[in-house]
Amino acid sequence: MASRQKTPTYHSLRERIHSEWILYLFAFLFILIADSIGQIKIPVWKGTFIIFPIFFSLGLGLLTGPSVLKILDDKKVKAASGLVGVAILPFIAKLGINAGANISIVISSGPALLLQEFGNLGTIFLSLPFALMLGLKREAIGACHSINRETNLALMQDMFGADSPEAQGSLSVYIIGGMIGTIYFGFMASMFAATGIFHPYALGMASGVGAGILMSSAVASLSEVMPAYADKISALAAASETMSGIDGIYMAIFIGIPLCNYLYRKLEPKIGRITKYGRREQS
Amino acid sequence: MKIRDWLFTLAITGLGMILANKVGFGASVTESLPGVFVLLVIALCAAGLKAIIPLKLPTVAYCSILGLLAACPISPISGFVIDAAGKINFTAPLTMVGAYAGMSISNQLKSFIRSGWRFIIVSILVMTGTFLGSLLIAQLVLKLTGTI
Repeated sequence: MASRQKTPTYHSLRERIHSEWILYLFAFLFILIADSIGQIKIPVWKGTFIIFPIFFSLGLGLLTGPSVLKILDDKKVKAASGLVGVAILPFIAKLGINAGANISIVISSGPALLLQEFGNLGTIFLSLPFALMLGLKREAIGACHSINRETNLALMQDMFGADSPEAQGSLSVYIIGGMIGTIYFGFMASMFAATGIFHPYALGMASGVGAGILMSSAVASLSEVMPAYADKISALAAASETMSGIDGIYMAIFIGIPLCNYLYRKLEPKIGRITKYGRREQS
Repeated sequence: MKIRDWLFTLAITGLGMILANKVGFGASVTESLPGVFVLLVIALCAAGLKAIIPLKLPTVAYCSILGLLAACPISPISGFVIDAAGKINFTAPLTMVGAYAGMSISNQLKSFIRSGWRFIIVSILVMTGTFLGSLLIAQLVLKLTGTI
């Protein structure tokens, strides 16, 4: 199984360029293609299904790897994962600037900002019962305890072991989130906006879940459907995202995983074995 | 990463932003330059702070906080910072992130296909639940505190 991706270290800049030039070349090429296509908007009910250039560049990137075109080998794939962490920084800086420019709204929303962090645990209540009904066993703990980004994946591998069902569940959601998250998360946010129940401020805060790429997808979609609030949405999303980035791991350790374990013990005997898949996989 | 690695990889990122801002939004190179400069300097300082400060905070946390400080009303350069960054379209920095992210998970395409529909449903519920939980609490508290 794929363990946590460790980025390579280089002895000199020349060595880095020698190894990574093809990644830069692809990145520029994909920007050229993806931004030429631009945004595609498809109205759905009262919301909008928006496909941003990031989705095209992500799709093109996927094709280069060992599974399809085989241009990149595993070492280059790992180097690319290190570059994600660099390339996202200017975007995060821009969000920080938006938050600074709208600092009054961030401060006046303080209590809501703090408390909504606990809302990130909402995944457990929504997804764990369904996961058990679908016949998942201990995988469900890893899969459902959080949004499952890099830190959570590392945490599950650390706590339960890399080959444990818990870490496997976490890895599955990590991979699927990376593949479909950019398109789904933004769409979902715009659908919640379309209900008309929720204030743009609340939608902005909810977007910061501790996953930069998901947050950006949500903020970009919300800004399209609520242009008058675009600045404030991104300011609040940035504040919430920063907080989630800091508190996410503690939320998982002290609340998320214990809560998952508790609910698992309570729910699994009742609803866990109703599917054929579940009977077979009893552990 | 050493400082020259940061300088180099950030410079590449800056070129990517200029390209995306040009192709996607028709912004000229000179129009984008001040904004790119501001964003890259903040990113570089964030990487520096992460290296110096012995706290287990992610680099993105420093980056976001530095951006906030640079642009908040007490900053002497807030006007310049906000104007310059405003010239960089919101989604322009993201295309390159997507390209790298796609490449970085391209060796997991097979496990994605193998993981099956159960995990796809669970993943969608995980994303929805994480968002919805925060949304409900935020809406409630904003109402109770009279902010909205």
